[in-house]
Parts: sequence; C-alpha cells; structure tokens
Amino acid sequence: MRTSGARSLTRRPSEPQQVTDANTPAIACRNLWQVFGDGAEKALTDALARSGGDADKAADILRDAGMIPAVQDANFEVHEGELFVIMGLSGSGKSTLIRCISQLLAGTGGEIRIDGEDVRGASKRRLTALRRQKLGMVFQHFGLFPHMTVTDNVAYPLRVQGIGRKERTERAREVISLVGLEGREDSFPRQLSGGQRQRVGIARSLAVNPDIWFLDEPFSALDPLIRRQLQDEFLNIQATLKKSIVFITHDIAEALKLADRIAIMRDGKIVQIGTPTEIVLHPVDDYVREFSKDVAKGQHAIVSSVMREGETEFGPDDPGLQTGMTLDAALAKCMNLYEPVPVRDTSGNVVGTVYPSDLAAALQVDEA
Amino acid sequence: MSIAEPLASPMATQLSKGTQAALITLLVGALCLALEPLVPWLVTWPAEWALPATDWVGAALKWFLEGIKPVARLFSELMRYPMDWANAALGATPWPIVIGLVTALGWYIGGLPMAALGFLGLSFVLSSGYWPQSMNTLALVAVSVPLALILGGAIGILANEVPRVKSAVQAVLDVMQTVPTFAYLTPLLLLFGFGPVVGLIASAIYAAPPMARNVMLGLERVEPEIKEAAIMSGGTRFQQLFQVEIPSATTQIMIGVNQCLMAALSMVIIAAVIGGFNDIGWEVLLTMRKAQFGESLLAGMVIVVFAVVIDRMSGALATERKRHDRRVVWALVAFGVVFTALFWSSMPNASEFTLMDPVAAAVDSGLTSFTQNNGPWLDALKNNAMFYVLLPLRIGLDQAVLPFTWGFAWTPTMSYGLFAAGAVIALLMAWRGHVTGGLMVMIGIGMLETGIANLPWPFVLVGASALGWVAGGRKLALMTLILLSTILVSGLWERALLSLYLSGAAVFACAVVGGAVGLLSAVSDTAWKIVRPICDMLQTIPLFVFLIPVLMVFQIGEFSAFLAICAYAVVPMIRYTRHGLVNTPDEMMEAAIASGATEWQILRDIRAPYAAPTILLGLNQTILYAFAMLVIAALIGTTGLGQSIYLALGQADVGLGISAGAAMAILALIADRMVQGFAEERRQALGL
Repeated sequence: MRTSGARSLTRRPSEPQQVTDANTPAIACRNLWQVFGDGAEKALTDALARSGGDADKAADILRDAGMIPAVQDANFEVHEGELFVIMGLSGSGKSTLIRCISQLLAGTGGEIRIDGEDVRGASKRRLTALRRQKLGMVFQHFGLFPHMTVTDNVAYPLRVQGIGRKERTERAREVISLVGLEGREDSFPRQLSGGQRQRVGIARSLAVNPDIWFLDEPFSALDPLIRRQLQDEFLNIQATLKKSIVFITHDIAEALKLADRIAIMRDGKIVQIGTPTEIVLHPVDDYVREFSKDVAKGQHAIVSSVMREGETEFGPDDPGLQTGMTLDAALAKCMNLYEPVPVRDTSGNVVGTVYPSDLAAALQVDEA
Repeated sequence: MSIAEPLASPMATQLSKGTQAALITLLVGALCLALEPLVPWLVTWPAEWALPATDWVGAALKWFLEGIKPVARLFSELMRYPMDWANAALGATPWPIVIGLVTALGWYIGGLPMAALGFLGLSFVLSSGYWPQSMNTLALVAVSVPLALILGGAIGILANEVPRVKSAVQAVLDVMQTVPTFAYLTPLLLLFGFGPVVGLIASAIYAAPPMARNVMLGLERVEPEIKEAAIMSGGTRFQQLFQVEIPSATTQIMIGVNQCLMAALSMVIIAAVIGGFNDIGWEVLLTMRKAQFGESLLAGMVIVVFAVVIDRMSGALATERKRHDRRVVWALVAFGVVFTALFWSSMPNASEFTLMDPVAAAVDSGLTSFTQNNGPWLDALKNNAMFYVLLPLRIGLDQAVLPFTWGFAWTPTMSYGLFAAGAVIALLMAWRGHVTGGLMVMIGIGMLETGIANLPWPFVLVGASALGWVAGGRKLALMTLILLSTILVSGLWERALLSLYLSGAAVFACAVVGGAVGLLSAVSDTAWKIVRPICDMLQTIPLFVFLIPVLMVFQIGEFSAFLAICAYAVVPMIRYTRHGLVNTPDEMMEAAIASGATEWQILRDIRAPYAAPTILLGLNQTILYAFAMLVIAALIGTTGLGQSIYLALGQADVGLGISAGAAMAILALIADRMVQGFAEERRQALGL
C-alpha cells in the first residue's frame, strides 16, 4: 500500500473560523434524534416536553402518534484518528444515524458537530463545501455511477469542484493504486466483481483526501473471503492515513476486529459504547451479551482485563504472561496451573497477577 | 327496537360488501323495471331535462381559445420554419442517400440485423411508390418528436425536483392517457387552423406524456446510494441531476424515447383525418374512402414498416449498450452518396416506383374474389354475431328478438320465464353459499332482457357506484356517482351507454379470447413462440391501420368496429395473463410439486390466484385500449361518444368534441380505478 501525498489538492477556502484545538472531537453528537413522519420536528419537541426530557418515554409517545423514532437521543464523540464502529441488527437505526451525521438526512433534533462546527445548522452551500473538503463516504451497495469508468467514478468528487481533467485523473490514479486496482482504470462498474467495485467506492471516497470517513456496511455485500481481505487492507490504509472514521456494520466479529470503540444500537437507541474488550467482557445487558455469544472471546479480550493489579503474591510457576496478551494465549500457557501467576508489562516489570480460574471464568461468562 | 337490534346486526355483518352492493343494485333495478309504466323518466332521462352543457363548454372554450389564438397563430408560424426545413431536407435528399443514412444508423445502433431491417424497410417503402408521402410524414415526426421529448423531459424533471407538483402531474398524465386522441384535435383545429401544424402540435402533446412518465420513473428508480454518493461527492443539485441521476436513468429514459416516437407516429397518422396534407395517413384514408383496399393496405403496410423500423431501432437504443464500428457507418453513407452521384441522371423519381402496384392490384382482385366466393359464410358470421350477440346486448332481448332475426317474437311470457329461470338459478346458488353469485346472475339476466343501451339510469348510477364501493371504498363510489351524473345531466347519457356497450362487448371478448391465448402461451412454449411476434406486431401497428383489414372483409359497420377494437385491445390481456401465470415464484411451484399436485391443480390452485392481480392489470389495459380504439373505430361506423367526437372534429364543434371526449375519459377513468382497486385488493390479500 502506498500512501497518498496529494493533500495539496484539497483546498480549504471559506472555512468559518472555529475554535479548534487538539481536544475538539472530530465528530460530536448531542441528543441527536431522527424521527420519520409528518410534522416530526414539532412532534419531537412536544414529546420531549411531555416526557420531561426522558428519551424512552418521548420515543414511546412518538410511536403512539404513528411516528418512527429511528434514532433516539444519540450521544457520542469520535476522536481524531479514531475508528468508531456502530453495530446493530438491521432496523436498529445505524444506517439512519450515519446518514444524519453525514447530513444525507437532516436530523430532527439535537446537535452534530464536525470539527466543532455545527452541521445541522449549516447552509446547503456550506454542506457542499464540507463534502468537497473533508467528508468521504462508502456505501453498502457501492453506489457507483454505472455510466462512468473506474477513473471517472473516482475522479467525480474532484470534477464537481471544477478541477481539470488532467489533474483529477492524476489524483484518481493515485487512489486507485492505493486500493490496488491498477489496470482496471478504464473498466465500467458492471465489468468488475463485488470486491473490486467496493475498492472503487473506497477510492472515490478518498479522492478528496477527507479527514472524516463514513463507511456504511462497506463489506456486508461481499463474500466472506473477500470481506476478510478487504478488512485487512482497510486496516492497512487506516494505519497510514489516520482518518476519523464512522464505520457501520451488523457483524460483531467485524466490529471487534476493526474498532477502537464500538457503539451498539438497538431499536434506535445506543445501548452501550465501549472498547471491544469492554463490550465482550462487560456487556451492559442481555442484548449486547447475545451478540458476544457468537464470538470467541478469548481472541478479543486481553490479560489486563482479568489481571488483579498490584498483587504480588503468586505461585512458583511463571508462564510469562504479558498485559497485552489475549485470553486465549494466556489460557494456553496456564493449562495445568492452579495458582496465581505473574503478569508483566512490556518492559518486563511485574504489574499484577492472574488467577487461572479467573481466566477460565472470563471465557465462560455466557454459559452461565 | 332494543330487542330487534342485536338480532339484526349479526345479519348485516354476515353479508359481505359485495353481496350488499349486489343486493342494492338488484333492488334498484327491479324497482325501475316495475315502475317503468308509471314513471317513464325513471328509465330514460328526458331530453328536456338535459342541460345544454356541451354548448356552455363550447362557448367557454371558444372564448378562451379566441383569447390565446394570436399566440397560437404566432407559434404555428414559428413552427412552420422547422417543418419546412425538415420537409425540404427529407424531400429533397435523393432516396439512395436517405436509405444509406437509415441503414448506417441501423448498423451503428444494432449491427447487421438492424442495418438489414432499415435497408429492407425503406426499400419496401421506395418500391411502394409512397416515398414522397412517407417523407412528409417522417418530417412531421422529426419535428414533433424533439418538441415532445423536450416538453416531456422538462415535465418529468420538474415533477422529480418539486415533490409538491408530482401528484398533480401524475394526475394530469393519467387523465391525458384516457382522453381520446381525436378530442385533442378539435380545439387545436380552432387554435391553429387547418394544416399540418395541427398534426404536429397534436402529436407533440400526445407524445409528451410517455416521455414525462418514463423520465419520472427513471429518476425515481435511480438507486438511493447512487444519489447519496453524488451528494457526498459534493455535487450541487444541478451537477447531481445532470451528471449522475439522468445518465444513470438512461435505460428507462430511452424507453420513454421509444414510446414517445411511437406515439408521435401514431398521432401524426391519425391527424391526417383533418387532412389536406400529402402524407401517408391521408393516403390510407383516401384509398379507404374510395374502397381501393389493395392500395390502402399497401399504404397501411408502409406505415407498419415505419413503425417497426422506428420501434426496433429506438428499442435497441434503450437495451443495447454496444455501438458498432463507425467505419461501416461512413462506408454505408458514402455508398449512398456515390450511388446517387453515379446514377443521378438515370435515377427514377422516388414517386414513380410502381413495383408494388401489381401486388396492390392482385390484393384487390384477390379480395374481390375472396369476398365473392366466401360471401355467404362471411355474411352469416357477421349477421349471426350481430343478431345473436351484439344486438341483444345493445337493445335487450325484448327488442332484439324479432321474427325477422330470431324467427319468433319476444313475448312478456318469455320475459317472465327468463326471470323465473334466473331466480331458480340464483336461489340454487344462494343455497350453496354463493349469495353474491346468485344476485349477479339476476342482475345479468335483467341487463340481458333490457339491453345495455336501454338500462334505467338509476340502475346504472347505483350499480356503478356500488361496484366502485366494493372496489375502492366510499371515495371511489362517490367519484363514480358524481362523474356519471355529470354525463347524465349533460345530455350525453345515451351515447355514453352505447360506447359502454360496444367497448364492454369488446373487452369481454378480449378477456375471454386473450385470457385463453395467454393461458395457452403460459402452458406451451411453442404457442408463445407463435403468439409473441404477433403481439409485438399488433402493439407496434398504429391504431389507424387496424381498420383496413376489417373494412376489407366486413365493410363499414358496428361489427367491423368491434373486430378492430378487439384486435387492438386483446394484446395486453394475452401478455399480462401469460406474464402473471409464468412468473409464479419457483419456490411456490416446487412446494406444490413436492405436495404432489398435478399440472392442472398447480395451475388452478397456485398459479391462477397468484397471477390474479397481474391479470387484472392486463384487463385494465385492455379496457383503456378499447376506449382509445373506440374513437378511431368511429371512422368505420360506430355510434356513441366516439362518433360524436369524430363528428365534432368535422364540424369544428369544440363544445361537443371536448364534452364527448371528457365523457369518454370519465368512463375510462372510472373503469380504470375500479379494476385497479380490485387488483390492489388482490395484491394485498396475497401480501405482494
């Protein structure tokens, strides 16, 4: 994978002055609602007034009125360079949520800030400018333009800005090679396989070198093998580009594999936000627990999550556990041990102990 | 009361909607029949009660049209230029070059088959000797189609961009589809005066709706993610629309172009009835009037050839992406030019070709001998159909059964006997649980006895509203009642009933024959292989041409009109029936086979119910087609609204033309909504 160096292409004129510092999150959602139905905005205000601000009650009131509260009171932040995954079953509102953030849907109530800028209040012109400068989006069914070649598809976000053919083709070739599609530049979407099509989608979303990258179930329509391959390549790209990412998926394994943090959605509500380990080891309710049942926990949770920090009493055996080790790896080393063993950090100092029984118990939470 | 009510209410709920409707209709009908001797106005709406609505409409329209006439005349002057240019271009270009160009176009669009089609088609036109007339027609199409495309495209885009306009546009397009073609012509005649411009504008107006529809549909069907991708790429609305959405919808839009072309061609030919312009439609009309059927058939064939060439080429434009080698294109054009240059002096004038004249003469003489030799049974067929089917339907058994036709006179005793027999059947059916069916039998017998044209007006109003209520609820019932009452008080009632009778008879025949052929095509692939090209052909032929063959064999009259309507309207019934039956999901078929059902059981229990909504839509199309053809068929002898519209055109009577056109549109609209309602109900019942 080559890194792209064409940052110069993204000009940033007319950006309103925002007070941004290192602590400003890339994306911040506060009390975000998306309600479908006639007169949704007023209905939401009324419902919130009647429920005294209680989101669940307000949602019930809206449902009784025949409205659909697809996103209810969403609150979260995505930090710069963070890969934030929103996970939920179909109909849980995750696609609606990402469309609110990218302003494909206007949102009914609440606030969305991108780099500190309130986008719900932004003008149409400002939104277009934002999309041209710092937003990129990948779609589940690719959303490729059927009448354009790969190059033209990828270069389209540059074309709408009035960038000349030569310059935009050059940039398009860069991102096309970034996603490994060299040689298919002049193909039409219908001539490509599913995996190749999504590579085009990814390349197109990266054409303007956006800071913020939306991916709506990008790998769900692909075969498992291709999906894994693209996930790995995606992680590689992200390792070099360091975008702030909102990634939608219905696949818990994918979420755990990719995410820095995961938000789990159910019926329009975010029920838990946490790191993969937190989600797996400390599910807040049965709904989240159901998800983690399907995954081999040992591959996702690490030793430090079951370590008794600061304890220095341990048995004679030292299988060489480290804090960052997965539970599976740790368990393999402690197969025949019953007494506590020491755990070291990366520099070799003992920072705590692990009881092998804790290891086994942690892996068996679900069977309880 | 307090005791009676709990008893009465379960009784009322036991009767289904359909039964209630049938019961009310039957009661009203019986009441009308019983009271006929006492209060004759219950049966026929007295002429003196009719409002002079057509006059009012005429006066209002005339006033309005006079107002905008200067603008219209200016427009017509302006349109004369492109028309003259197109005429000059097509008329003056030597025929080898035109043939070369069309062949080259065919090659570019669809390779060898299309090139061959273009070449053979135009060669036929050339050899027929109708080349100049054809070029005149083509020039009209060439000017009206771009107008229609721009108009339709603009309407479609507007409806797509402004959601508030959309339903209004949809409604107007729906109405325009049901207003008969001739009805357009009368006001246009007043506005633009006689001459080819009227045909031009009429065909542009007539051809714009299909384009608008397809543009709307195409834009609507662009994948949401493609639209979103265009937004997220940072395109302005204008960029999104013209760089992404419209190109993505090309296939659907090209279907619109195809339909637009066909509609324009059809209308240009129909517009020939206002005449005076030396085009191919006029040629058909002229030869038909002179009873030169061989020539009229030849001219009709020329129209068909044009329709087929235009349809297949523009159709290929919509479906095939591949374009063919341009070098061949240039070679073909060059060949045409070189050919012209070489044989310039010795090349015969296009109008002097008479290769087909012997054929026309042969057809004429062949036809004469055919009708002479087969006269007896052809007459018998026609007379039997008239005496035993069409006439009784029209004026009822009590008037149609005469010693002269049936060999005996209809007596009141026979009426009572008929009703008694009907009552017995109805009671038997009710006893077996088919209450609605029994009531329908009684209603049907009543209608047969009276005849559709003589039906008492309260019966029609109540019956139609009741049917509307069953099909689409209160709203449709009210709409039916109001719209039909408008026809009643405006004095067009009798003519409306006559139209209803003829189109009803044709639709019934189409439903039976088309349904059977569709079923056969669904069961047997061989049958479909034969039926399909016939259907394709029938759908490509402009309305007008259907008149020629029936006229040749059966002369002017209601029976010929009936046949022409059937020939045109049967196609959708066949297609939809087959489509519905064939498209049963494989899983359902497999489940039925796995359950051990026989072919016949699968057809009856699985495929037919599943296909019902589709078949109903086919019936709907057939009804609309029948109404459309009814007006054209007025040229060869029908009574009713179609005739009024045609007469109005001859007399430039705007009031009558528009009123009768509106009445036709009302009938078509009501029929359309009812069938759609039933189809929707079936779809919902099946969860589709």
